Amino acid sequence: MRSYRTTRRAVGLLAAAVLGTGLLSACASDDDDGGSDTDSGDGGGGKTTITMGLFGTFGFKEAGLYKEYEKLNPDIKIKEDVIERNENYYPALLNHLTSNSGLADVQAVEVANIAEVVDTQADRFMDLGKVEGVSEDAFLDWKWQQATADDGKTIGLGTDVGPMAICYRKDHFEEAGLPTDREEVAKLWEGDWEKFLDAGRDFKENGPEGVAWVDSADAVYDGAIASSEGKYYNEDGDVIYKESPDVAAAWDIAAAAAEEKLTGNLQQFTKQWDQAMSNGDFATISCPAWMLGYIQEKGGSKSEGKWDVARSPMPGNWGGSFLGVPESGDNKDEAAKLVAWLTAPEQQAKLFAERGNFPSAPPAYDMDAVKTATNPYFGDAPIGELFSASAQEIPVQTIGPKDQIIDQNIGNGLQLIEQGKEDPDGAWDEAVNAADNALDQ
Amino acid sequence: MALLTKAAWEMDRKDPGKRRRRGPKAGEAGGQQHAGKLTYAVLLLFTAISLFPLIWTAVAASRTNERLAETPPPMWFGGNLFSNMETAWSDANMGLALFNTTIVAGSIAAGTVLFGTLAGFAFAKLRFRFKNMLMLLVIGTMMVPPQLSVVPLYMAIAKLEWIDQLQSVILPFIVSAFGVFFMRQYLIQALPTELIEAARVDGASSVRVIWHVVFPAARPAMAVLGMLTFVMAWNEFFWPIIALTQENPTVQVALTSLGRGYIPDQSVIMAGALLGTLPLLLLLLLFGRQIVGGIMHGAVKG
Amino acid sequence: MTQTGTPVDAPPSAEGGAAPKRAAPDDRRQKWRSRRYRWDAKFSPYAFISPFFLFFGAFGLFPLLYTAWASLHRVELTAPTDMEWAGLHNYTRLLEDDFFWNSLWVTFTLAVLSTVPQLLMAMGLAHLLNYKMRAASLFRVAMLAPYATSVAAATLVFAMLYGRDYGMINWFFGLFGVDEIDWKSGSWTSKLAISTIVIWRWTGYNTLIYLAAMQAVPQDLYESASLDGASRWKQFRYVTIPSLRPTILFTVVVSTIGSVQLFGEPLLFEEGAGASGGADHQFQTLGLYLYEQGWRNLHLGRAAAIAWVMFLILVVIGIVFGLISRRLRKS
Repeated sequence: MRSYRTTRRAVGLLAAAVLGTGLLSACASDDDDGGSDTDSGDGGGGKTTITMGLFGTFGFKEAGLYKEYEKLNPDIKIKEDVIERNENYYPALLNHLTSNSGLADVQAVEVANIAEVVDTQADRFMDLGKVEGVSEDAFLDWKWQQATADDGKTIGLGTDVGPMAICYRKDHFEEAGLPTDREEVAKLWEGDWEKFLDAGRDFKENGPEGVAWVDSADAVYDGAIASSEGKYYNEDGDVIYKESPDVAAAWDIAAAAAEEKLTGNLQQFTKQWDQAMSNGDFATISCPAWMLGYIQEKGGSKSEGKWDVARSPMPGNWGGSFLGVPESGDNKDEAAKLVAWLTAPEQQAKLFAERGNFPSAPPAYDMDAVKTATNPYFGDAPIGELFSASAQEIPVQTIGPKDQIIDQNIGNGLQLIEQGKEDPDGAWDEAVNAADNALDQ
Repeated sequence: MALLTKAAWEMDRKDPGKRRRRGPKAGEAGGQQHAGKLTYAVLLLFTAISLFPLIWTAVAASRTNERLAETPPPMWFGGNLFSNMETAWSDANMGLALFNTTIVAGSIAAGTVLFGTLAGFAFAKLRFRFKNMLMLLVIGTMMVPPQLSVVPLYMAIAKLEWIDQLQSVILPFIVSAFGVFFMRQYLIQALPTELIEAARVDGASSVRVIWHVVFPAARPAMAVLGMLTFVMAWNEFFWPIIALTQENPTVQVALTSLGRGYIPDQSVIMAGALLGTLPLLLLLLLFGRQIVGGIMHGAVKG
Repeated sequence: MTQTGTPVDAPPSAEGGAAPKRAAPDDRRQKWRSRRYRWDAKFSPYAFISPFFLFFGAFGLFPLLYTAWASLHRVELTAPTDMEWAGLHNYTRLLEDDFFWNSLWVTFTLAVLSTVPQLLMAMGLAHLLNYKMRAASLFRVAMLAPYATSVAAATLVFAMLYGRDYGMINWFFGLFGVDEIDWKSGSWTSKLAISTIVIWRWTGYNTLIYLAAMQAVPQDLYESASLDGASRWKQFRYVTIPSLRPTILFTVVVSTIGSVQLFGEPLLFEEGAGASGGADHQFQTLGLYLYEQGWRNLHLGRAAAIAWVMFLILVVIGIVFGLISRRLRKS
């Protein structure tokens, strides 16, 4: 009897709670309406809130750029809405764009997706080329072109680029009898990724037990393909990745690394990779400028002073992003001003100094914040000089709408070799099979 | 006139009015023998397995990211639980998220229970045209894979300008086929048809019957359904991630923002996961016996 | 709210003794009342089911039909309203689609791997819990804790425990000299790992359902069985199991539907794999393949076709179980 009564009381309580919250919900959503109106409306004495829709780490907030802008423009308040992985961010962005809702005032686009966005969503973005204070000359030409449609409309301004280098562990190199000075290290593999593998073979022979030469075959591939002009599409926009000699060359290098077990069989941006980084389980890693931040944060104090950074076998670009302003936003003019400011050379230089994201604006390269920049975590490596040199030699790569999907499937193929499930030929067939299936509408 | 009687209240041909045992205690008589030591040992082991991942979540949440990457893995609590929780709380908009999720899960549970009981009662005890066909339709909707409706649903929600508002994650889930089915199965057995008839003979309207006969009889099952739905709605992530943003998140949406940045700090992510699960565990702790009793009560032929 | 076994506050009987002088209006009222009664009886069932069907129509049926329509078209997520008629192409191509067949196989094996041990264990545990014991409710509540944990949180923890280099499970096996197991990349190991997540979350819940059914088995059945000299095992086998048949069927149906729709666990199990289910698609379920086609490769039409095939598979399963249950009821 007792327990029955408690049941009833519990049920009553629950019912009351549920009904109460149901009522509350009606009020809450009303409040939301009211709230967002005053927030997003221009005038009315309230502040204008600009929302930034981002993925991964742009570092604007961490570098204090929002605060600075808010100080310069007291009527503006900046908020950011960040999704960790681009692969989750991008489909949501498309959904929001095609339904014209749920968009932030500013939306970021990754370089692997920019061609598709330019192709299919250009109408939905503002032409940032026409915004006051934005100058085409301030950006790397190829970066500017990537976000510009055939009719000359520029839907996104470049934030950073990813000029390539190689990061390496001095302690492991020393143990393996390899040079540790960054100039000498660069000479080990200068001009040829094959030489990079040779050094790896040497390392495997003489290096410490349980330490891989490089983290993943996929990253070797990304590094190698970054330095070639051709990629997955030709100038006419046809998919040619199967015949592309550049892709074949990069694949062969990476497949060899995987097959000879020079890699750590790790997938980048996973927990396992983080842990391996934290414990120093690999000796080198393809290092676009933005990678330095990852290494530093993941490696933590445990690896301080053990890393250094050297020129990569060939200059190339890996990654980088754009900021665009959706046409439908309530504050699009204010948002465009903010984007123009954030991507201006001065701010890009600041971002590099604080976070290591390398500027896509060449005028920044001559600024002291970039030119003389060194990184204490990497043995005071002159990263400004190093990456500037690399950035200016980056080949102009032909990009296409489905770069990301092809990339992913090739990466999967390389993993199959690393996991010992396929030989390189079989893995290539698998990768092509999966990529073709993914491309076919 | 004949039509009227025919259309009236259905006679339940199966065991009408067979009384069910009530209360979580009642069943215990079914166990014939006392448990032996081995039984206790097995049950203890299983309890340990049930609780271990949760406890380890707390252990991981109380450590640093670096410590989690070491072997042997940490086995006992470290000193960072509260600082990690604080980071999770401030980074992920947790306060608003918990509030929102309570509203969302509460409304969905209330809606599912109310509409499920009404429809379940109609399907269990009333007679009307197309009844069987409609019931089949209800069962059929249980088979619909949830991923299927996301795109058209999103387009509809966008048209209504509901993106980032709580109704966009409440209304699509406010009824559930499972709820209807569950209540029907329960009421077929638990609600004596004479009771309804008696009320009708006395001239009670349907609303009155619902209020004074159906609801009291259905109460245990309603409670269970409410709890189950609340838990499910609390943990739903696939649709909310699409319909809501970090501006106005539910718990599961807020948690996705914890992994961002250079340092998807595992210990902070674990702390966030713990924060998001704690309210449910608390609920379980407070109402555990009632929930268990309810599930068992409603389940027999559920 | 009073707890009423029978509704007794019925107004008609009270008014029955009203003054006969007001016969005429009373008569009218009587008529009105009987008409209202008739209408009420006729239409109230529809009123009761209408909220469900209203919401279902708006948020369930419309998307369902839209997806059916979309599955007959070439349509991309980049422009969901631009549809190009494709007939049954999206369906016929599935017959030759290796990835589809792979995902079907994965779904099937995962369903077996997670459902069978889960229900067997639940049955055994329910049997144990059915003994008279101390702290019975403690065990029962503890068993529900996994159920209250979200798929996301549970998968997160398990993914860490199953880590290759620094996971606790490999560390534990390492104590006995077992080499590191790469749980996530192995074809069977990944499936085993994912099924443990499902088993962990649902065994307790199913245990309680079985326990409830066991307690509803009449005591005299056991008594007469033991009078006949049946051992405990025989009692379990010949008394308990047969009485539990409908419940077993119910749990099998629910678990099967759940495993065919399995999605969150494989999606979150390996964050680097996205929706591919591993480099070899070794744990790509149907739900995940659907998601990859629609949300990663952006082919909505193809995704819609997969969704409908999934739906049809479930309907077939439903019909099969329906037939089984009819047969059970007869026997």
